[in-house]
Amino acid sequence: MPKIEVLTKTFYQNIGRTYTDEQLEEILPSAKAELDGKDEEAGILKIELNDTNRPDLWSSAGLVRQLRTYTGKKPLFYDFFSNADEEFEYGNRIIEVDPNLKDIRPYITAFAVTGKKIDDTVLKDIIQTQEKLCWNFGRKRRSIAMGVYRNDLISYPVKYTAADPDTTKFIPLLMDQELSLREINEQHPKGKEFGHIVSGFPLFPFLTDSEGQVLSFPPVINSAHIGAVQVDDSELFIELTGTVHKDLILAASIVACDFADAGFTILPVKVVYPYETEFGKEVVTPYYFQEPASAELAYINKLLGMELSPDEAVNALKRMGVFAIYDNGTIFATVPEYRNDFLHPVDIIEDVMIGHGMEKFAPVMLDSFTFGRLTGEEEFSRKVKDVMIGLGFQEMMYNYLGSRKDYITKMNVDGSEYIQIANPMTENYEFVRASIIPSMMQSESVSGNAVYPHAIFEVGKVAFLDDDDNSGSVTRNTLGFLSADSDVGFNQISSTVSAVMFYLNKEYTLKELDDPKFIPGRCAVIVSEGRQVGVFGEVHPAVLENWGIQMPSVVCEIDLDLLMKDG
Amino acid sequence: MEIDVKSLHPLEIKVLLHVKESEQITAKRIISELGYKLGQCNQAFSWLAAKELISESDRINRRQYELTELGKAFNKIGFPAERMFNLLKEYGSLSLPKIAEMLGLDKSDVGSAFGKLSKQGIFGMNAEKMAEIREKILPPDILAARELVMRAVQGPLEEEQLTEDEKKVLQGISKKRGAAGAPFRLAEREEIIYALTPAGTGISKILKEKNITGEELGAVTQDMLADGSWKDKSFRSYSLNSPPSRVLLGRRNPYGEYLQWVKDKLASLGFEEFDGPLVENEFWNGDALFMPQFHSARDIHDVYYVKNPSHAKEIDQPYLDQVAATHENGWDTGSRGWGYEFDRDFTRRQVMRSQGTVLSAKQLPKAKIPGKYFGIARCFRYDQVDATHGADFYQTEGIVLGEDVNLRTLLGLLKMFAEEVAGAEEVKYVPGYFPFTEPSIEVHIKHPVLGWFELGGSGIFRPEVTKALGVDVPVLAWGLGIDRMALMHLGLNDLRELFTPDIESVRMRRGK
Repeated sequence: MPKIEVLTKTFYQNIGRTYTDEQLEEILPSAKAELDGKDEEAGILKIELNDTNRPDLWSSAGLVRQLRTYTGKKPLFYDFFSNADEEFEYGNRIIEVDPNLKDIRPYITAFAVTGKKIDDTVLKDIIQTQEKLCWNFGRKRRSIAMGVYRNDLISYPVKYTAADPDTTKFIPLLMDQELSLREINEQHPKGKEFGHIVSGFPLFPFLTDSEGQVLSFPPVINSAHIGAVQVDDSELFIELTGTVHKDLILAASIVACDFADAGFTILPVKVVYPYETEFGKEVVTPYYFQEPASAELAYINKLLGMELSPDEAVNALKRMGVFAIYDNGTIFATVPEYRNDFLHPVDIIEDVMIGHGMEKFAPVMLDSFTFGRLTGEEEFSRKVKDVMIGLGFQEMMYNYLGSRKDYITKMNVDGSEYIQIANPMTENYEFVRASIIPSMMQSESVSGNAVYPHAIFEVGKVAFLDDDDNSGSVTRNTLGFLSADSDVGFNQISSTVSAVMFYLNKEYTLKELDDPKFIPGRCAVIVSEGRQVGVFGEVHPAVLENWGIQMPSVVCEIDLDLLMKDG
Repeated sequence: MEIDVKSLHPLEIKVLLHVKESEQITAKRIISELGYKLGQCNQAFSWLAAKELISESDRINRRQYELTELGKAFNKIGFPAERMFNLLKEYGSLSLPKIAEMLGLDKSDVGSAFGKLSKQGIFGMNAEKMAEIREKILPPDILAARELVMRAVQGPLEEEQLTEDEKKVLQGISKKRGAAGAPFRLAEREEIIYALTPAGTGISKILKEKNITGEELGAVTQDMLADGSWKDKSFRSYSLNSPPSRVLLGRRNPYGEYLQWVKDKLASLGFEEFDGPLVENEFWNGDALFMPQFHSARDIHDVYYVKNPSHAKEIDQPYLDQVAATHENGWDTGSRGWGYEFDRDFTRRQVMRSQGTVLSAKQLPKAKIPGKYFGIARCFRYDQVDATHGADFYQTEGIVLGEDVNLRTLLGLLKMFAEEVAGAEEVKYVPGYFPFTEPSIEVHIKHPVLGWFELGGSGIFRPEVTKALGVDVPVLAWGLGIDRMALMHLGLNDLRELFTPDIESVRMRRGK
């Protein structure tokens, strides 16, 4: 979840009044936000945003916008959005796109801002917005990357090209010498972080102006000259490149609205593509592409369990910053420029819910009658646990992920039935346990100080490879138990097995077993109703040694799913 | 120190009753007068001293003759000279080598014993160079030594109690430093002499008043019951407050017990339990829940991928086609969809189940209407393991299907959970966000101990989820964060502790 920091003073100034923390916590839910902390000294509020489909809320301006309308202030209007029918004046601000970018990083959107000097607060907000948008919404710059430049240094038209990574050179931010694009990927900290997004392509995205001055190497790094924005700059050029056109345009709209809210004038930019896009070959941005959304009032009321009047529904949406009208049983909503999260009428319903006020919804108890029931496996497990407890065993519960060392190497088995994790965070959690026995050995290995005798058991799940299954593996409910003491042995555990099977009402026979984790001749396969349901025996001293266990141990494992099935 | 007379052992009681104030209490005295064994004596003294009922009044050095291993052996089989005497008595005459062979003694020992006793006229050598007896009894010094050995078997011989003659004999047969084997060893021991303390005198009085003699019966034995010897005797009172010894028992893991309690609770509220495999595929883990395949919403579920096999063979139809179409264009769900090309290869990719909601989704095609379901599912996340994150953990989730369920019944459901499962007095609902529900609600509760916290997340499943899986009625989906309550219940503050392999810490753990 994105977390942002806002300057307390500016934040309240922009909302139009000051709130106590408690009051703020009451209205933040309207933005699915919560107060995460505050830094009194720096005058900062830390706020967590929970809705990953509302990137417009991930900035100080966006959050203020939501809270203003929710608390009854008039929504702001934005008069700089072009759409399919209408283009706003873009002057000479044109971006020309290289055809070679089509398969590399095909889209770019941009606009310029003017009319105000950039101060420290604005600059910090821009950087925060850029980070949150590109990281959370832009999938770590893969689908959206944003650059901000000094507009007064740019000679239009700007050229978005595909450049040779080895011969194209410029001085990037934070460096004082020219590097080739490939060198940037290898040497520059941002190159190391984001270079992989484009490094597989023969040509890299590259942004220059008409005189060949470098703006940036998207999505990696700006140039040290045009791309070095400072406090007191008064005109900025903002561009976003990426792979998902709609997301890109939405992100640009969000940033433009934020600048407009801060008092800047937005100057549109035209992008000229050599290839077709969803919005044509020429797109003037900021661009409004959203379709109107609608929901039947009856559906709204059915899902909310309410009987809202048309006015109540319309007003609720208004508090959410959504302009709506009611006509003939249906609420029609105009989607705000900075949002694109209305996929289904239910999305309108949620806004009605929040806008109407959660406190107005009284809980109602369910009145339908249903049967409560545990699974057969759960009921069988409980029977097993009762028997084990009667036999004096302590129930244990273990993690299901572990290391090759614990699950396989120390057990002296080949591990061919083990499911392996493809992207383990550490080798400690690289395998799914296919047997409970290693878990119990681990217990024994860390419990040498616990008073003996040790008698432990677990009823838990294991999963192992099985070609016959659609997923290539199966999960089973399993019983494992272990006894460790100076005088444990095969006969003792055989008696325990016998008691368990007797009270579970299962006949069984024993078969010889050849398994390196047991002492040969002192271990057995349990066969019940023609199926091999388990194994038990004296743990081989070589295995005990691997685990550093100094006490003789006997162990048993039984597949409960197999055992509970009727013959 | 406050002494409960019931906590006194009979060995202590008898000593206290036996001795008078200002009398010396020594082991020797108690052994002879009360018939204690030395070990019992020492026990009684150390217990009484610890309770400050007797205290040390003096220490003296005692010289004692005690049996060596050789001495103990002599007691059993006799001195060599004695054995030779008895042998010759039986056989008349034998050669010295023959004697050595028959008695299993060294020839030199036989030779020296023969020489010594010959001088005293007990043995002699006949014409055939055979040894024979000349007297009817052994010499007094050997008889005296024999008697001393027999006495010493009962306990060391105190030097001060010996006659001069006995001392002389003993000196002859005691082991000197560095000397060869002898039946006795002279040992010097420090002995402590005790006396009653004023408290001891007091307790002694109380014992007499209460008529406690130390002869009361201890444990009831089978013999006692058989022969009736318990009759007309009183039983010793046991101290109620002496620490009981530890019992190792079979028992549940308290966390498992808590989960079971939650399961029973949910079943009692009309929910039917579901379960499923640990390995899932992207289809059920995300796609079926309308989480777009390449959207940041999936970032919050960083999952573990399965290496072998990396992909499931197939995905159930018609759900694959319906879900794919829903992602692409909304299909028949009333949605516009996500508007991207659904990847049918990616959807087969296998992952470790990362959220319990998977089971809810899988239940939808086979669910009854009306229906209520729940599951407590082990889930896996790609997370740094610490006090608040486990590599695998339980999630408690479920669904409610019904023609008439809606937001307000959802709130009612949450209220029921808050009261029944969490014992909360106050409940607060706030809008939440989950990729698969709309509207989404978080429920916060005021827990009697933990204060305000988020009990769970919930919502009404998006029609993109339900319709694509063949369900046309609204479905309430909910999840409860019960681990926090479980930790509190168990007095823990680290999630990792829930799955500890440490036997002792599980043995000692209990629920509130």
